[in-house]
Amino acid sequence: MCQFFSSTFIILLGGFLSLVFARQKKFSKVIAVLFLSGGCLLGLLDAAAKLLNPAGASASFRYLDLFFLSFHVDGLSAFFLTAIFAVSLMAAIYSFHYMENEEGGIKTGVNYFFFSVLIASMALVVTAANILSFMISWEMMSLSSFFLVIYSHESAENRKAGYLYFVFTHVGAMFVLAAFGLIYGHTGSFEFAPMAGVPEAVKILIFVLSFIGFGSKAGVFPFHVWLPHAHPAAPSHISAVMSGVMIKTGIYGILRIYAILDFHTPVFGYITLIAGVISGILGVVYALGQHDIKRLLAYHSVENIGIILIGLGIGMIGAATGNPLVAVLGFAGGILHVLNHSVFKSLLFMGAGMVLHQTGTRSIDALGGLLKGMKITGTTFIIGSLAICGLPPFNGFVSEFFIYMGSFKAIPVGSISFAMSVFAIISLAVIGGLALACFTKVVGVVFQGEPRTKAAENVKENGLAMMVPMGCLAAACVIIGVFPKVFIDMALTAVQALGLDYGRVPVEPFGQITGNITFAALLFFVVVLIVMGIRSIYYKNKTTTKSGTWGCGFTQPTVKMQYTGSSYAGSILEFFSAAAPLSEEHPPIKGRFPLKTHYHSHVNDIAELHMKNVVVRPVFYLFDKLRWMQHGDIHLYIGYILLAIVLLLFFI
Amino acid sequence: MMFNPVDIILSFVLLSVLFSFGTDRVLILIKLLGFQGVVISIIPFFIGHDMSTGGTVFTLATLVIRGFIIPLSIFVAIRKGAIRRVVEPIVGYHASILCGLAVIIGATYISGRLDFGSVSGFKLLEPTAIALLVTGMFLLMARRNAIAMVIGYIMMENGIYLVGSGLSVGTRHIVEFGILLDVLAGVMIMAVILRNIKQTFDDVDTALLRTLKD
Repeated sequence: MCQFFSSTFIILLGGFLSLVFARQKKFSKVIAVLFLSGGCLLGLLDAAAKLLNPAGASASFRYLDLFFLSFHVDGLSAFFLTAIFAVSLMAAIYSFHYMENEEGGIKTGVNYFFFSVLIASMALVVTAANILSFMISWEMMSLSSFFLVIYSHESAENRKAGYLYFVFTHVGAMFVLAAFGLIYGHTGSFEFAPMAGVPEAVKILIFVLSFIGFGSKAGVFPFHVWLPHAHPAAPSHISAVMSGVMIKTGIYGILRIYAILDFHTPVFGYITLIAGVISGILGVVYALGQHDIKRLLAYHSVENIGIILIGLGIGMIGAATGNPLVAVLGFAGGILHVLNHSVFKSLLFMGAGMVLHQTGTRSIDALGGLLKGMKITGTTFIIGSLAICGLPPFNGFVSEFFIYMGSFKAIPVGSISFAMSVFAIISLAVIGGLALACFTKVVGVVFQGEPRTKAAENVKENGLAMMVPMGCLAAACVIIGVFPKVFIDMALTAVQALGLDYGRVPVEPFGQITGNITFAALLFFVVVLIVMGIRSIYYKNKTTTKSGTWGCGFTQPTVKMQYTGSSYAGSILEFFSAAAPLSEEHPPIKGRFPLKTHYHSHVNDIAELHMKNVVVRPVFYLFDKLRWMQHGDIHLYIGYILLAIVLLLFFI
Repeated sequence: MMFNPVDIILSFVLLSVLFSFGTDRVLILIKLLGFQGVVISIIPFFIGHDMSTGGTVFTLATLVIRGFIIPLSIFVAIRKGAIRRVVEPIVGYHASILCGLAVIIGATYISGRLDFGSVSGFKLLEPTAIALLVTGMFLLMARRNAIAMVIGYIMMENGIYLVGSGLSVGTRHIVEFGILLDVLAGVMIMAVILRNIKQTFDDVDTALLRTLKD
């Protein structure tokens, strides 16, 4: 535990020192990056060691003579810690060159300060062993990330995004608090210990409340509304951390509550699975319709949270129906996908950050042909895209394959489980296909073809500190994919911490199958590379002509003769228009000499749309009616306080 | 019937409370505040805590600050700021006195129901503390002159101090010192705000603040 606390201390110290030396911008940045990455590395080693040689550790502190703040590391915590520290380490290094264009040392210092608080509080959230320490760390995490979201507070859009995030995260925290209140009310203890002798109805209520609360952090549909606003607003390394690991603390919360409740009913599984399916499919459909690359990635987080929840749902169904193999496959797949998603999603955000940093635009349809100038960014982005689509030999495949296998094994369990698992399999397939469509759109439009605007012309990549993390994460995608055994074992250690006490279920054969498939896919890639090598040898001394992409033999091709992202995604979006209504603006072409025209489309998020009508309007209406209370007379304000005191003293 | 000094002192405090409800002059309020400060500060000597040297010094320091420094500084503020001397009531004086009686009765009733965990044997300690708190609140509410409001605030703090001095916990001095710092900070902040109000509206009538509402 000592190593864990020293690593969080180093991280916090780094942020604090960066704030202190904020005036010497370069120095403060160097200090922050060194301390943050050093602390993360230390924490990563510690967590990985705990995961490979399972050993629990706990510590508790007395606070104000009133209660304890206690922390405990078990397999589940160690697994999440590994993801948190790994991604934060990469993001900290990445930030060194990413933040170089920013003027104003104070702003950078403040950014690093809140970044360090965010990392430390995430680590504390997943190790908290009682309600109090959990809520304190949870709030610290929410607030620090809020300040990071409004980093570029000059733009009104970003302020709005920050406000939205603030509201969502606190409404979510309110639900979590309600769930904790129920737990405390029935057990009389703040500890996170398995509950016994609590009525089943209460347990279901606790689960639903905490699912809503944690779901709003994780970005489960329909509580994901803040996500596509907040992620693009934050600096890219922060988006990588927020999307990569911070939203996963919501998943951790759901798992932890599940372990505490110690109550296995298929209802939990159905709730989780259905929420997962809806988030997964709608997440990727909305992603397809986005024009902003970071917004698109944010919607993919919703999708991947959906996949994780499908895995957990299958696991819960397996646990409830007494089917250890299904349970372990589902949980292990879901938990491993947490790590995998954090790796490739942070990689993709870093790639998007590089594009934004070098071109100054996030609009997909303004870019094009970037692969020519940005070899490393482009290649790693493609690797990340393949991984997020769940294609072998990359890591996304491993976890999704586990969830698939769990779903197939759940088919013969029972009639409802049959329907559920078929539902899960079909939707996983749909999600995978749509994700592939979405990333062919991104890679095809952004990195291939010809530059569509001035901003995308002659773009080079630079900043070693930005490229190294991307290379490391891309390598991690391949390593987890090709040698999944170690990582599957890690996920199994985490599953054991859920307290299902099945002993070790023989899942090695499944790991073996997965490994074989990814190995075969790797061989395929190697063969392709060899063929390409042979080709280049053959063509060495021959003349080859290079012409523009989509040139098609035109003598005067223009960059407008290319597929755009909107046109590529258009036909798929039409199919989903019930769930993703498209609003288009396109003045028609009239007459022989038509005037200039334009096309603008926007996919409406139905959750956002309905939330506005159903929740926001009534709340505004209600509080508008209460405006008379704020009359500006100080004497009556004091009267309110007096009234409250009198009521409390006399009647309570 | 045994007279104990604490209850006698506290009965004076209760009388001063009634007096402060009925007075129309800020200067009288300041004098009452000084009186209360002195009287309340010497209570720990009678209450039967074993007084160490540090405790004695601390209690004397409280006496000086509460009894003299704060009232004097308010007095100086009035002098320098040429602030009007009338408390400008929202609730009339007769109604105020009636309220004062109600406050004392209510406080006695409440103190029977509350358990502060304080030293027993002093009948008036808790009622007086609550009465002071509510009186402070009342002055804050029912007087428009900002100085009267500051005095109300300090009276509230006196009440809190009285609660604290009755407590028989080991960390009493730390708590009281915290309260004292609170008061000082509060008074300083109020001084700044007063200056601003005076500069903006050329008066310290707090009802004028209403115009700041958006």
